[in-house]
Parts: sequence; structure tokens; C-alpha cells
Amino acid sequence: MTTPVDPTIRVASNEPDPPVGLGRRLRSAIVSVPGFFLGALLLVSLLAPLIATHDPLTPNPLAKLLPPSSEHIFGTDPFGFDVFSRTIYAGRLDLTVALGSVLLGAAIGVPVGVAAGYLGGTVDSVLMRLTEVIQAFPPILFAMLVFAGAGNNVATLIGIIAFFNVPVYVRMVRAVIQPIRDASYVRAARAMGHGHMSLIWKHLLPNSLVPVFAQFAVSSGFAIQMVAGLSFLGLGVEFPRPEWGSMISAGANQIVFGQWWPSIFPGIAVFLAALTLNALGQRLRKAVLVGGPR
Amino acid sequence: MTKSGLRRWTAYAARRLGSTLLMLAGVAVVIFVVTRMLGTPVYLLVGQQASEEVIAATIRQLGLDRPIPHQFVTWIGGLVQGDLGTSRHTFNPVTTDLALRLPATIELVMAALAIAVFVGVGLGVAAARRPDGAVDRFSHVLTQLGASMPNFWVGLVLVYLFAYAARIFPAPIGRLGPGIQPPTRRTGMTTVDSVLSGNFEALASALHYLALPATALSLLAIPAILQITRGTFIEVLASDYIRTAHAAGLSTSRIYGVYALRNAVVPMLTTLAMSFGFLISGTVLIEVVFAWPGIGLYAVNAMNAFDYEPIMAVVLLGAIFYALAYLLADLAAFVIDPRIREGAQT
Repeated sequence: MTTPVDPTIRVASNEPDPPVGLGRRLRSAIVSVPGFFLGALLLVSLLAPLIATHDPLTPNPLAKLLPPSSEHIFGTDPFGFDVFSRTIYAGRLDLTVALGSVLLGAAIGVPVGVAAGYLGGTVDSVLMRLTEVIQAFPPILFAMLVFAGAGNNVATLIGIIAFFNVPVYVRMVRAVIQPIRDASYVRAARAMGHGHMSLIWKHLLPNSLVPVFAQFAVSSGFAIQMVAGLSFLGLGVEFPRPEWGSMISAGANQIVFGQWWPSIFPGIAVFLAALTLNALGQRLRKAVLVGGPR
Repeated sequence: MTKSGLRRWTAYAARRLGSTLLMLAGVAVVIFVVTRMLGTPVYLLVGQQASEEVIAATIRQLGLDRPIPHQFVTWIGGLVQGDLGTSRHTFNPVTTDLALRLPATIELVMAALAIAVFVGVGLGVAAARRPDGAVDRFSHVLTQLGASMPNFWVGLVLVYLFAYAARIFPAPIGRLGPGIQPPTRRTGMTTVDSVLSGNFEALASALHYLALPATALSLLAIPAILQITRGTFIEVLASDYIRTAHAAGLSTSRIYGVYALRNAVVPMLTTLAMSFGFLISGTVLIEVVFAWPGIGLYAVNAMNAFDYEPIMAVVLLGAIFYALAYLLADLAAFVIDPRIREGAQT
């Protein structure tokens, strides 16, 4: 007689066993194909002045809408800007906004999540209702409203995307802290006279920061797409500044005439950046959750 | 449902309705705060260079000189009576404008949702039958692409491929071909109205115009629906009662279509509600790309005309749709799944 096997375990074990230890699991998730791609992406943005073939801010009025050639690798847009150089430079702004909004979202969400999970009771229910309210807003439409009031600039862009990232981190940290709030080691620490702050700082927060870190990549993937979508509508980024979404917008009207390059190349850049971050996020999440619920 | 079951359902529905209304009240407060506190709408109306008198007069006219709580009550009062203000670029009451444009958005979102359910559930079930098989791998790739491609850009790619290069679909301008007699307006949804009035020439044209934007939009919802279907079916198919059903000799189609589906439907309902929320927000960009005359394009035009009341209304409408979708999904789940019924009682 064979021992019965739980089929869900069989499905999971098709993948190679990850190395033991959280640190090693995280390292192997980062040193991977998506990790390498992210490094390349950052490097290209950083070295943009060396890689770009033209000035991203100086259009050539005599070279409008030229198809890709050896002179203009990705062609030129309706204003005579070099699409390749702008695509390379745009990574700087897009990645900065994505990272900034994710860090800001986590910086607000983590303390709020700690408060909700640690204090529980009424504070918890009020904070949870608030996160539900945020999640009920259609992100792009809400962003339009905020831009109308707060002005069209990059700071507003970062603020709005962070706003939609906050609930994710609140829920995540709360979910980690709530079950261990009354764990025996926490009670022991409390009995030994640790104050709330030191308890949270030494015992509860470290546990919750691992999934938060793993979530960074996924949130950045979402942020990259939000930036592109909003700037496609002309929000957040003033036009000549190289940015993927506004570049897609600049070429959008030419697509029906068959001039695809001004829009398609920056779109591929958004796609690659989001794909890289999403794939990295999945690896990180798997590394963190091994042994836990999938 | 039994009599006591009905009573429990009513109590549950009342509680869920209450929390939904509370959430929407929160949404209304945030919208109000954002528009009144972040900036002065006056400048949007009269321009940055307006004289002091003009600004003061406008502030008085809008009631912005009254205390904030008073303004809030006035605004909410209007809201409850269906007064969403007046658009400054169409000169119509916002409610009238919305009624005119909402059907186009609903039509697009529903078509996209239908495509997403068809593709997502179909592939999800097929992938769950053989995890790591060819279909599963293909689904995985599709999920990755769908989650990473900006869908308005996918719309542009589709326009290039199918409107410009292959010339199978029309250029992305609106909902009906030129020279096509539009159907008599009943629901405002061109496809439905065409069927209702028996105008099949218009129906063909409407479907033709709907195909590309709906496909591009559906990509936003496919990953979630596919993943939840796959996950749920893997779990359900591994359960004892399905094994028993197989052993009892029931046909595969009956097992999948009746027993597995019934148990998978509750998590899928929630995902469907969530997807609907995604689509209501994502449709803005698609409507811009395809010049689709829905509420998203209306909001964008309002934004470009510095007209903020239509945007407030569309944001509120989006939140209401989202909340209602979740409410309906929860209420349906309560009826379908006895486990939730019992759980909700305690």
C-alpha cells in the first residue's frame, strides 16, 4: 500500500527545492534573470548620457517622424525628437517616481499597519474601513481629480501612487503582527518590562518587514504602469521631459497612419520594466512564503 | 432557501448594505476634501490672472466663503438629490451628460469582462486539469504579459496591426461606421439597441468598432480571473468528493460542469467584482485611445477644460460601481455557498 499524498503538495514540489534559510532564499531570488534585468535597467538609466545618441530635449524640425534607421535607431517622433535617446533617458524619471512612490507608500503604510495590528479593537476597525475607502477609488480617475486641485507636477504624481500603495502595506503588516501580538515570546518580553515601542521595534517590526521588502518589486511594477498611464493623459510630467507614457501619447495619433515607432518603443520599455519587476516580485514573494501559505 | 435562511440572508444583506453605504460616505468625504483643500477651484474657473474682484465674486457665487461643514452639507444634499453640478465645457447638468455617456462605458466594460471570463475561465480550467502542461505554461505566459503590458499601449498595438496593417477593423474613432443609420436609442448601448430595433447592419458595425477596445481592455482582467480559476480548480479537483464522483463513474463533463464549478464559483464571483472595478478605472485610457464616447473620455475632456465637477461625479460613480459589484458578489456568494451562510450566522 502506498502512502496517500496530498495532491496540492505534489503540485508544489514540481519546482526545485529552494535553499534553506531566509537570507539565502532571498539572495537566490535576487540573483536571477529578473534581478539581472533590473540591474541592467538601472544601469542603462544611470548611464543614459553615455548611451543616448542624441540630445533628448533638442528636437530636429527637419527630421520629423523618420522611421528607424542607423541615424535614429528607434526613429523620430512628430516633433523631431530622437525616440531612442528619449526612451533611454525616460527610465530615469519613471524608475525614480516608481521607487519614490513605493517607499512613501510603505513609509506611511507600515506604521499604520503596526498600529492596526498591535492595538486591535476600534483603532483596527477604523483603519481597516479607511483602507477599504481608498481601495474603492478608481485610481486613474481619482488621480485626475487630485491633479486638478494640487497642480500638475511630479511630486503630486508620487503622492497619488503612494496613496494607492498604502492599503497594501497596511494590510500586509497588520496580517503579520496580529497573530504574533500575543505569541509567548512577545508576552515574555512584555512581562520583562519592555515598553510598547521597544516591543514593536525589536520583536514585531522585524517580522513584518520581510514581506514588505518582498512587496516592493510588485508595487514598483504597478507604479511603473500607473506613471505611464497618467502621463499618457498628460498628468504629472510636463511634455518635453522624457517619460515613457507621455512619449506613447506623443505618437498615438500617428499609429493609424502606420507610423508605429514613436509609441511602440517607449511602450516596450514600460512593458519590460513592469515584467522585470513583476517577475522579481514573484520570486521574492515565493522566497518569503516558503513553508507558509502559498 | 428556507424561511430562517431568508431571514439570515436579509440580516446579512442589511449589514453589508450598511457597510457599503458607510464606505461610499467615506469616498464622498475624501472627494470633497481633495477638491476643497488641495487647491482653490476658483483659479481653475477664472484663470490665474483674474482680478481680485472677479475672484471674490466667484468665491461668493460658488458658496466657497461659507464654513467648510456648511459647504459639505450643501454638496452632499445636492448629491443625494442627483445634483452633481453643471459642466463648464458642455454647459449641461453633469447628470444629463453622464446619462448620455454611461451606456457606452458599460457596453465596453461588459464586453471586455465577457472576453476576460471566456478566456480566463476557459484557460484556467484547462490549465488546472494538467498543471505544468502546455496549456498551463501558455496561461502563465499570458498572465505575465497581461499583468505587465500597459493596456492602452496594447490598444495602440492592436490599432496598428488590425486597423492599419491588416485593415480588418476600423480606425479607432467612436462606435459606429460613417453612413450607418444608428439604431433607435433605448438603452444607449449600440449593440443592444441594434438588436432591439432589428437593425443588423448597425449591429455588425457596432461589434466591429467594439472588438479592439474590448480586447485591449479585457487584458486588464484576464490575469486575475485566470489565476483564481486555475487555483480554485486545482484545489477542487484534488478534493475527496471529486475523486468519489470519478469513482462512481460520473462523466467528466458532469463533474466539471456541475460539481467542480459550483464549488469554484464563489471565489470567482469575488474576482469578477474586483475585475469590474479594475475595468471601470482602466477604461479611461482605452476610451482615450479609441475615442470611445464614454464617461472616461468625458472626464478627460473635462480635465483638459479645467472643469472639475464632471471629474468629481465620474470618480464617485466609479466608486459606486465598485462598491455595488462587491456587494452583489457577496450577497450572491451567501446564497450559493452554505459554508458562508453558516459562518455569517456566528
